Amino acid sequence: MNKIWIIIKREYLTRVRKKTFIISTLLFPLLYLGLIFGMGVIANKSRQDLKVAIIDHSGYFTAEKLNFENSIDDNSTLILVKNATDSIMNHYKEAGYDGYIEIPALHWQNGSDSLYFKSEKSYGGNATVAMQAKLNRIWTSIKNDSLQLDAQKQAILTKGLSVTARNIKDENINSGTAEGIAYVAGFLIYLILLIYGSQVMMGVMEEKTNRIAEVIVSSVKPFQMMLGKIVGIGMVALTQFLLWIAFVFIIYNVSKASGSDIASGMVGSIQNMFSSVNVPLVLFCFGFYFLAGFFFYASLYGAIGSAVDEDMREAQSLSFPITMLVIISIALMTATVSNPTGPIAFWASMIPFSSPIVMMARIPYGVPGTVPWWQLGLSMSLLVLGFIFTVWFAGKIYRTGILMYGKKPSWKEMIKWAFRKN
Amino acid sequence: MTLLELQNLKKYFATQKAVDDISLQVDQGQIFGLLGPNGAGKTTLIRMITGIFYPDEGSIRFDGKTFDPIKDVEKIGYMPEERGLYKKMKIGDQAMYLAQLKGLKKADALARIKEWFIKFEMEGWWNKKVQDLSKGMGQKLQFVTTVLHNPKLIILDEPFSGLDPVNTNLIKDEIFNLAKKGATIIFSTHRMEQVEEICDHIALVNKGQVLLDGTVDKVKQDFKENLFKVGAKGMQSENGTAPYEVISEKEDTKIIKIKEGQTANHVLEYLIQQGAAIQSFNEILPSLNEIFIRLVEDTPTARQFQHV
Repeated sequence: MNKIWIIIKREYLTRVRKKTFIISTLLFPLLYLGLIFGMGVIANKSRQDLKVAIIDHSGYFTAEKLNFENSIDDNSTLILVKNATDSIMNHYKEAGYDGYIEIPALHWQNGSDSLYFKSEKSYGGNATVAMQAKLNRIWTSIKNDSLQLDAQKQAILTKGLSVTARNIKDENINSGTAEGIAYVAGFLIYLILLIYGSQVMMGVMEEKTNRIAEVIVSSVKPFQMMLGKIVGIGMVALTQFLLWIAFVFIIYNVSKASGSDIASGMVGSIQNMFSSVNVPLVLFCFGFYFLAGFFFYASLYGAIGSAVDEDMREAQSLSFPITMLVIISIALMTATVSNPTGPIAFWASMIPFSSPIVMMARIPYGVPGTVPWWQLGLSMSLLVLGFIFTVWFAGKIYRTGILMYGKKPSWKEMIKWAFRKN
Repeated sequence: MTLLELQNLKKYFATQKAVDDISLQVDQGQIFGLLGPNGAGKTTLIRMITGIFYPDEGSIRFDGKTFDPIKDVEKIGYMPEERGLYKKMKIGDQAMYLAQLKGLKKADALARIKEWFIKFEMEGWWNKKVQDLSKGMGQKLQFVTTVLHNPKLIILDEPFSGLDPVNTNLIKDEIFNLAKKGATIIFSTHRMEQVEEICDHIALVNKGQVLLDGTVDKVKQDFKENLFKVGAKGMQSENGTAPYEVISEKEDTKIIKIKEGQTANHVLEYLIQQGAAIQSFNEILPSLNEIFIRLVEDTPTARQFQHV
């Protein structure tokens, strides 16, 4: 026991003291914010300023109306062309247009028709949706005028009924907030499993290529060596997380104190989150699924690391099935978020390989409203049994693999190592 | 006093009988040479002694008790042939880590590491990383970490590979020193000249079995072929009555083989009677290398896969 502790300490301290740990801990939140901010900038930059010729055979679309719409939304410029329409259709490029829309001789009573934005290039829905909105606003006002509807009647017509899901067991749940938390929690666990799981694998491979494995196993049992490594690296991941939570807490308090507009908006939304979600329970479950899921996968990654030599490609091809399980879990999570009580959600949150990610995506929707207590308990117990099994299984492979050099085993052989006596 | 006693040890793997019924006895303070061609089962045998493998059959007695792989590893220092250190860890930290894994207390470990570092002139290395060391320096560090916890049994697998003659001598002297202080050393190598120089007792293993077990002198006596090197002027060329056959000759020096039933004294008497002027008369004992090759040659060195 004492020796495992010495190993955990070394694995933990050598990693936490590394510059890469400090840098990644500081940089990840910045990168994350940068990514969100950057996406906005890119979306803004990539919008297209299209100049479109409108050839109107109906007589409804006047230059005046089009100009008014252009002034509201400058994403595209619609210009009415009255003269020499044939030459514009053939030579729109030379005239400086990106394309043209020909409006047939519509009558307002027909109500609808399909128009085409014609151009030599291909455009996506993003390009046409703005033009469609502009033309539709004009079209609606023309219909309103023709029907002699005043503003009051128009308002009555546009109002409708809305249906929102509300959980009567748990009135506070805001499904939008829950969905957001579900995605964030699921993706964080996904990242941890992949990043820190492969760290375990690399660590084991390092011991093998440095030829220190046999020196160590002459002092401690291979199982202690493996467990020490997994726990040590798990603690590193936990440390990184606690630091991030601390950052968020500090930023939250600082922005609350500063009292600026953006900050108060953020503070408000966080307070809203706290009131609609059982934050302590979510945090507790997050800690549990994060650690248990990590043990489940890290031991398998460790087993692979022990089985291969220094060849990275071999390690990748052997770890592919494990990585696939993690990726499948993410796919199942997406299905779960859209229907958190459906059969996929239920089964995927019970089976140990997907439960760390999928159950974490269900919990924000409310316990016991969406996830009954018995399901949470069963899922946790199954995951604990699951990781006890994988740690045992990996320990068997590890014991044989760590002292084997030269030949690359297949999964079949590794399973044989696990189930033979001694 | 017997420190280590192996009785009928067996370890079979799926494709071969790695260790097939080996019994050996190692006394305290002995330097025991474990010899054998590649794949003879030496490493598997050593791994059972160091508690890495459990034997399929047989028993190990260590220090008067049945071997306990958990507790007794703290009394064993093992330097495997496939050895290494963490490349990016500082040398001092590394030695501390390995010492603590052997059960040493922090303060104890620190004092002993300092002592050894001074002895090997490594004081200035504490904060260097292993990747900055030369291979020879790394080997010295590896040796220090092996013997740091004052083990009763030290197992060295090819300890001199990669060392220059100066450092080889340094380590060799330390091995003698440790043996003098009562440590028992099992020394595994292919280098026969080192075995002759260092070991008291040897065992030759091949195909998982012991071919030979005894002191170096006894083994040599057992395998001698009654060859003598005689330097004498006026030795008559051979006729049927001489108690020896001449194997080869070069000027006044002849290599002779004494015939069955005769002794060296008979030969000397015969030569004196003949009036030869004897200048030198030496027995030629076979080197361990020759014995090794003779014993192993008949069997293919790379072992075949066999069914268990």
